[in-house]
Amino acid sequence: MSMTNPPSAASGPGSVSARNQTLKRSVQAAFEDPNDRAGNPGYQSKVRVIDKYKVVGFISSGTYGRVYKALGRQGQPGEFAIKKFKPDKEGEQIQYTGISQSAVREMALCSELKHDNVIRLIEIILEDKCIFMVFEYAEHDLLQIIHHHTQQPRHSIPPSTVKSIMFQLLNGCQYLHNNWVLHRDLKPANIMVTSSGQVKIGDLGLARLFQKPLHSLFSGDKVVVTIWYRAPELLLGSRHYTPAIDMWAVGCIFAELLSLRPIFKGEEAKMDKKTVPFQRNQMQKIVDIMGLPNKDRWPYLTSMPEYNNLATLQPPMLHPGHHHHHHSAHSSKSAASTSHLEKWYYSTISAHSSSSSSSSTPSPSSASGNNNLSALGAEGYKLLAGLLEYDPERRTSAAQALQHPFFATGDRVSNNCFEGLKTAYPQRRVSQDDNDIRTSSLPGTKRSGLPDDSVARPVKRVKEG
Amino acid sequence: MAANYWESTQRRFWQFSKEELANMRERLEDSEQSLVSMFPLPERRHLSIYFNQQINRLGKRLGIRQQALATAQIYVKRFYSKVEIRRTNPYLVITTALYLACKMEECPQHIRLIVTEGRALWPELLALDVSRLGECEFFLISEMNSQLIIHQPYRTLTSLQQDFYLTPDEINLATSVINDHYMTDLPLLYPPHIIALTAILLALVLRPNPVPGSSSGPTANNMAAATAALAQAQARTGGNGQTTPGASEKDKQQEARVSKVHRFANFLAESNVDIEGMVDCTQELISFYECHEQYNDKMTREQINRFVKARGLDKP
Repeated sequence: MSMTNPPSAASGPGSVSARNQTLKRSVQAAFEDPNDRAGNPGYQSKVRVIDKYKVVGFISSGTYGRVYKALGRQGQPGEFAIKKFKPDKEGEQIQYTGISQSAVREMALCSELKHDNVIRLIEIILEDKCIFMVFEYAEHDLLQIIHHHTQQPRHSIPPSTVKSIMFQLLNGCQYLHNNWVLHRDLKPANIMVTSSGQVKIGDLGLARLFQKPLHSLFSGDKVVVTIWYRAPELLLGSRHYTPAIDMWAVGCIFAELLSLRPIFKGEEAKMDKKTVPFQRNQMQKIVDIMGLPNKDRWPYLTSMPEYNNLATLQPPMLHPGHHHHHHSAHSSKSAASTSHLEKWYYSTISAHSSSSSSSSTPSPSSASGNNNLSALGAEGYKLLAGLLEYDPERRTSAAQALQHPFFATGDRVSNNCFEGLKTAYPQRRVSQDDNDIRTSSLPGTKRSGLPDDSVARPVKRVKEG
Repeated sequence: MAANYWESTQRRFWQFSKEELANMRERLEDSEQSLVSMFPLPERRHLSIYFNQQINRLGKRLGIRQQALATAQIYVKRFYSKVEIRRTNPYLVITTALYLACKMEECPQHIRLIVTEGRALWPELLALDVSRLGECEFFLISEMNSQLIIHQPYRTLTSLQQDFYLTPDEINLATSVINDHYMTDLPLLYPPHIIALTAILLALVLRPNPVPGSSSGPTANNMAAATAALAQAQARTGGNGQTTPGASEKDKQQEARVSKVHRFANFLAESNVDIEGMVDCTQELISFYECHEQYNDKMTREQINRFVKARGLDKP
């Protein structure tokens, strides 16, 4: 073997047997050597994950690998989330196969980024053909928080919490976009919230720089963003997309914080061969609320590759009880493109009022003042409408959204989204089950920390080549 | 930050003073004294020229863009500032650096393709397979602390070319100066915009002469002109008023060029650019072009291949 490691000052990697004795058959086993390294002087990490961190449980898994909760062994304060990238297997033997481009991107970007509203990377350890990315731990995420509010009795998220979450989320987005980073996979499950109510944008596995790329962004990854949060320009096949795609997703998240369910809950058409199908069902869900896009609302609409498919969509269905006012046949075309978002907004913020049930439930509720979503008022609608603008060029940017009157009206926006809440949200479920870890060699098993209905959520994304 | 050089890991962790760099290298050699004395190597810039040529050869076979080649060169430089060359197979390191750089610069190459091409280029020197390349990738990333985003001078050049009315010839010349600077220590010493500004200055003063390329260096006269322009800019920052225009040229073209140099010097004087840094960069480049004349490809290759063979680094 030619590659030998420089003299290691930090740790003695020789004490393999001693180390193994301290291990129980537990989640810790996931961090064990996959093979005997004796007699192989190849690459060795100077730092060993298990020397530095004590794994206390398993959090979740995905296509990339698994996430564990850990504590520092060397006096590092706080808790950690360790993301372990799954190594490829050839037969039984784990082989070096080259690190995936998305892992390389995530490693490089996370090493550069530093902001209160972006999840903080502590370190990366490359050991035993595996990559361990150590992050600060966040007790909650938006998916979990939303789910908590759907539990009987269903009760809406307090308006002050919604406002704080949105402000912090936008703040993180602004930072990413100022640094030419597109996240490309914003959704509730990827927005972390710490126990002190700080919002942290997580999972930069799909993120990338968009400043003067060598190739169009489209050519790298054909499909980005989980379907329910995918912007209309992506659904219509746009090749050159911008930070506006993240802002659409932020709009969808805002709507979901209000209604506790995805606003555009479409079904994904599967990729056949290598062609990307038109996502008719998803686009229809958007049209149902937003109306059909047209050239007035979106000048470049007709140059979208999938433009012709729009004609196959149904105009928004009118609710049975809803009379189509005095418009007659001559305005049917404009009626088809009329947005019903305002109606959606006001019926949502009045329907889900939590004030009636807050006294009887042990759920988080505002200590003072108005706990009714209608407190978000007309400015809430305007912000939502700006984020869900069809035309990506007119869509509200993160910087514009932060200046929006929505945040200036009413109470001061707190940087702790739990401020004023009497009770805490349940903690992230962490599994310490032996069985769980032994069967864990199967990748992509369902998220353990999450409730049942979340399993039905669409899977992340198509891996790039 | 990813797009902001001032807060980047490049500035915080990979920009050294000459003294720091010398100390790091001395420590490395001290830790491997017997290897160092057993296998003498040519001077560092000659090694860099050789590595640069090898990266270019491999890159050409795969049709890889200059930006990725440049990033690979920086990776090699960073890696060898932390690992003694004689402990590695440079052909493996070069191949891996290019593979990784292509991923970072968003023009990924399939690992099997890189392995095939690497094997074909250095059949005697590199028993390459996917797992070896993958292992070396871990080594490289680990030594670089996963700090893989590189800020290149090309971007500054592109954004300034209109401000200084650079002609295509001047842009090409500045680009080739930037390409050449990867064979010096400058990428580890100065921020990319200082490199770019130095390259523009050299392009402006070298213009009528043939491209320095990598073989024929600029003349001493031209270098003197560059230094003079910098001195002028420096004097202006000191608060001295008007500067007299340089020697009167009859040739109109020449005059235009002189005024371009003046405009550039004024820009430097008015902005807060590290002119001393530019002076040093200019001198490093002059010195590099002189040193390039002494480059002996055969000897360099033999000295590298000797330790690779003798230490069995070519074996799987």
